[in-house]
Amino acid sequence: LHGQKRSYRTIDLAKLMYDVSLTPAEAIRKWRGEGVEEGENIEASDEDDEAFFKKSSREVADDQLEDRAIPILDYNSLEERWSVEDNVANLRHRFATADLLGEKEA
Amino acid sequence: MAAPHPEYIRFTTHKSLAHRLVLSTLTGRPIHISQIRSSSPTQTGLTPHEISLLRLLESVTNGSSIQISYTGTTLTYSPGLITGSMEGLGASGGVIKCILPDTITRGVSWFLIPLCILAPFSKAPMNVKFEGEGVITSATETGDISADSVRTAILPLYERFGILPSKLELRILQRSCAGQGGKGGGGVVELRFGSQVRLPKTLHMNRSPGRVRRIRGVAYSTGVSASNNARMIHTARGILNPLVSDVHVAAQYDQAPLVSSKDKSNPGAKKRTGIGFGLSLVAESSTDGVLYSADVASPSQGGVTPEDIGKRCAYQLLEVVSQGGSVTRIGATTVLTLMAMGSEDVGRLRLGREVIGTEEAVGLGRDLKRFGASSWGLRDVEEDESGDILVSVKGTGVGNVGRKIA
Repeated sequence: LHGQKRSYRTIDLAKLMYDVSLTPAEAIRKWRGEGVEEGENIEASDEDDEAFFKKSSREVADDQLEDRAIPILDYNSLEERWSVEDNVANLRHRFATADLLGEKEA
Repeated sequence: MAAPHPEYIRFTTHKSLAHRLVLSTLTGRPIHISQIRSSSPTQTGLTPHEISLLRLLESVTNGSSIQISYTGTTLTYSPGLITGSMEGLGASGGVIKCILPDTITRGVSWFLIPLCILAPFSKAPMNVKFEGEGVITSATETGDISADSVRTAILPLYERFGILPSKLELRILQRSCAGQGGKGGGGVVELRFGSQVRLPKTLHMNRSPGRVRRIRGVAYSTGVSASNNARMIHTARGILNPLVSDVHVAAQYDQAPLVSSKDKSNPGAKKRTGIGFGLSLVAESSTDGVLYSADVASPSQGGVTPEDIGKRCAYQLLEVVSQGGSVTRIGATTVLTLMAMGSEDVGRLRLGREVIGTEEAVGLGRDLKRFGASSWGLRDVEEDESGDILVSVKGTGVGNVGRKIA
């Protein structure tokens, strides 16, 4: 856990940001302390698909290059996350309805 | 133009193509982009929306030259001066018309956001009317925000740069969702960007982003029952009301736009397109100019209830608020670019870790540097526990090139 936290430091991002030997995606992964993602296994993972025409990994990579203003979100996991009372309580301090006195003491 | 052998800045792939074209136009440096979807057997080279953007750039500038290779995988762009909608240079009645073909899969915001970044640096006001069978004003599945969000969450950001908000206007004259197969629509949108500045001021948004005190939004139904609006609003309020009491969402009902039916035997025939509904929410903070937005629209093949759309949009908004910072992912490109192109002064911007720590942000930083802007300085915000990152951006004083020469 400690090691992971260290790799999430701001100073590291400043360095990785302009390190052109890494692609932006790789830089972000390295900053977050995530290992090599299963980018190569994309083909293997959806082998069960019955579709005759499969996208090659290169095409999938091409699709990921399309710019999106809104990222693809997994709404089910979002719903899970925001149905937990604690998470909503943590977010409450970002809203004007928060209990200001309670926060001052903290 | 001036140099006989211009030094091209070389890029590959279609990643952030729109923004690279904008940066090229602003800095006046020609670019060469290769390997645009070169390995795709179905969609090789530039797509219809990218071609349309190039046409639009050509019509708002004077002296641009664009060369596209035979396969469309290589593009050379030498920018001209940003003239805006000057009479005699393609504008009629002070407005440039941009006709989008029906093969377009991106929302009109994909065109509006880059155009707005160019507009403050234009010589004359930038008035552009988007019409034709490819204007989708709603949010799209390809990840574009709705035209409503551009109006309520992007345009207000310009006020901070010394651009008069009273002279900015985005009118949605005809709404449209994405048509069949996510392609085309029939919307009409008019952007009037009447405030041009010598140099945009830089920004100091390094204080606390404040607390969300109210939520505004627009629910839209085009060509489907207006009760969808009420159902979306009801679900979204159910989630947001425990956090903010001041939630106000406007409901917009429109008829689906009429477009030509492409029937050869009956050329006058029309059909309705762009049916669907969606929701755009904007959370306003107690700190001036801090806006968080969320956008969801029904997919073009249908099959999603308005309740689901309302729920998704509300959760997306919570997610964006939880990312924190003064500017969201959607606004970051605009704000960081204007800061980099603005007065030669160091501006500071507070961004959430999840906003700056994205591929887009890193790509943007690198692109800006390649176009001659200085590197960003990053450090942690120390005043509180938010974990936000303070980005310092030094302006390059590019300013209003068109005005400088003329």
